[in-house]
Amino acid sequence: MPTDLPNGPQSGASIAVRDLHVAYGGTRVLHGVNIDFTPGSFTALLGSSGCGKTTLLRALSGFVPVESGSIIVGGQDVAGLPPEKRGMAMVFQSYALWPHMTVLQNIGYGLKLRGKSKAEIAAKVSQMLSFLGLAGYEDRKVTALSGGQRQRVALGRALAIDPGILLLDEPLSNLDAKIRMVMRHEIRAIQQRLGLTAVHVTHDREEAMTMADRLVIMQAGRIAQIGTPEEVYDRPATAFVANFMGAENILPLRVARSETGATLTTGDATAQVATGAGAAQALPAGEAVAYFRDDVARLDASDAAAGEDLLVPGRIAARAYPGGVYRYRVEAAGRQITVDDADRHELGTTIGLRIPLQRLHIFPASEAGIAA
Amino acid sequence: MNLSQRHLGLILIAPGLMLVAALFLYPLCFSLISAFSKDGAFTLEWFAKAFELYSTDIVFTVVIVLASCALTGLAAIVIAGTLTLGENRYIVGTLKAIYRWPLFIPFIVAAQCMRTFLAKNGLMNNTFVSMGLMEPLQAMSFLDWRGIIATFVWKQTPFVALLLAGALASIDRATLEAGRNLGASRPRVLFELALPQVMPTLMVALVLSFVTMLSVLSVPMMVSGSQPTMLTVDMAFRINAYGDYATANALGVITYLISAGAAILYLKRGLSEGAPR
Repeated sequence: MPTDLPNGPQSGASIAVRDLHVAYGGTRVLHGVNIDFTPGSFTALLGSSGCGKTTLLRALSGFVPVESGSIIVGGQDVAGLPPEKRGMAMVFQSYALWPHMTVLQNIGYGLKLRGKSKAEIAAKVSQMLSFLGLAGYEDRKVTALSGGQRQRVALGRALAIDPGILLLDEPLSNLDAKIRMVMRHEIRAIQQRLGLTAVHVTHDREEAMTMADRLVIMQAGRIAQIGTPEEVYDRPATAFVANFMGAENILPLRVARSETGATLTTGDATAQVATGAGAAQALPAGEAVAYFRDDVARLDASDAAAGEDLLVPGRIAARAYPGGVYRYRVEAAGRQITVDDADRHELGTTIGLRIPLQRLHIFPASEAGIAA
Repeated sequence: MNLSQRHLGLILIAPGLMLVAALFLYPLCFSLISAFSKDGAFTLEWFAKAFELYSTDIVFTVVIVLASCALTGLAAIVIAGTLTLGENRYIVGTLKAIYRWPLFIPFIVAAQCMRTFLAKNGLMNNTFVSMGLMEPLQAMSFLDWRGIIATFVWKQTPFVALLLAGALASIDRATLEAGRNLGASRPRVLFELALPQVMPTLMVALVLSFVTMLSVLSVPMMVSGSQPTMLTVDMAFRINAYGDYATANALGVITYLISAGAAILYLKRGLSEGAPR
């Protein structure tokens, strides 16, 4: 990022969403969403297709009518206001640049609407372009720019009006992988430098984790979990969140509580969780399902000592080499489990699948049914 | 491509080519020759006659058609803009359901409808009188140039609006939302962001309407019987009253030239749009 904006940093605005209901036609898409966005925070709305994340963003920006509930920005409820009166700037997935205008006209349009003089607009756009590393591009047609440059112009157009709130609707999904990495850091850096309140919609988990300081995981029109990237990744609140955050291996378990702690049983394997560990009390009793990531389990000898881990006997069904480690598909406890391991093992070998207990995310079987 | 394939191609297009030749090229050549010749010799006599008798009508025709195009464009922009950016779904739904109807009504029927609507004791004046908006004595006939323009605009607006609404529906909707997001009202979004993106389509629709209006005989004949009138009526009059094909053909060539002017404007614009920037 070459130069700084002389008039920054500015402070972002706060947003409070209360009991927000949104429906398309007769179909309810958001079911009473409550969430606060603090000034200067970077929040990522994350979820699978159709979960309502884009609808929430469009409800904030005013493009989707709100059925009930309120959106309070700086003390004023804007839920009934049209998009042009909300003072939020949005960056669109398709960039949404105006092809009949130059870079100068695109970035300067918001300023023109605010009655700024031509000289003021030219000065501000010039500042913005050097801020975005596009100095001297004023008179280019936007159709002559590359994807990354268009994305910067779209960002510049949104930032030129000095918004308190920046809404990002999957702005990086049309860029190639390398430029996407660069833009992630640039957008985050700009947001922090200007102190904007940013709300970013994405379905890319890694993008959300690396850019945002808070994740909002959405599921079927409701918020499934709100937390820092670490909280959501390490302590998923529901089976859906665990699964969505990459814990895609599923083991059916039986949890038996006792005075000394809890016993986990899956197939022929058992493990003890001591009361002192703290986790035992949180475990659901009875039928449960454990979720874990590919990289937390290891392959061991089938007769190795379990120790404090869960050692599930299994058989190697398939092997691939994606680079660095081998990726195995293991049949264990009646399920297909994907495991990464550094050592090469032959197909058909009987092994022990070693999973550290603290890396298992365990939920009642009844709840897990809705996760997949 | 070898010779037999080339022949096959020619044979395949031959029926179409012959139809064009017989129904368009032959009459066109015949008209041109007739307009420029007398007793086998080249002459501009028919043009001189055409200008002497009908120069007012030439200007009248161009003004009527241009004014109709301008008003048609404006009405189509309002309709297509409402269809694209309208937020009241009842208004949008109703408009969507009814705006195309005039497309299916022939010019001659439209002209007859306008006669009963715009006449001195027509539906429009009678309605105003019965509503108490004006006195019967104030009623006046609109069956003159205003009637022609009203009929043309009523008949051509759905066509232009149809093409325009289709073009507006195909542009990236986010480009319109981006404008509103930055604070632009809906009219500004329409005129500053949406229309410039669909200008080529609007121009095509208006050029086609221009040529269509130029060639309509029934409307000026039925709506406005008086002078001045449009060139189509003059041509019909030269032929029906005097059997004067030569002057009628000269008027026809003048009409060709006027529509060629519109076509050149359109092609020029098309070339500059398509040129690399």
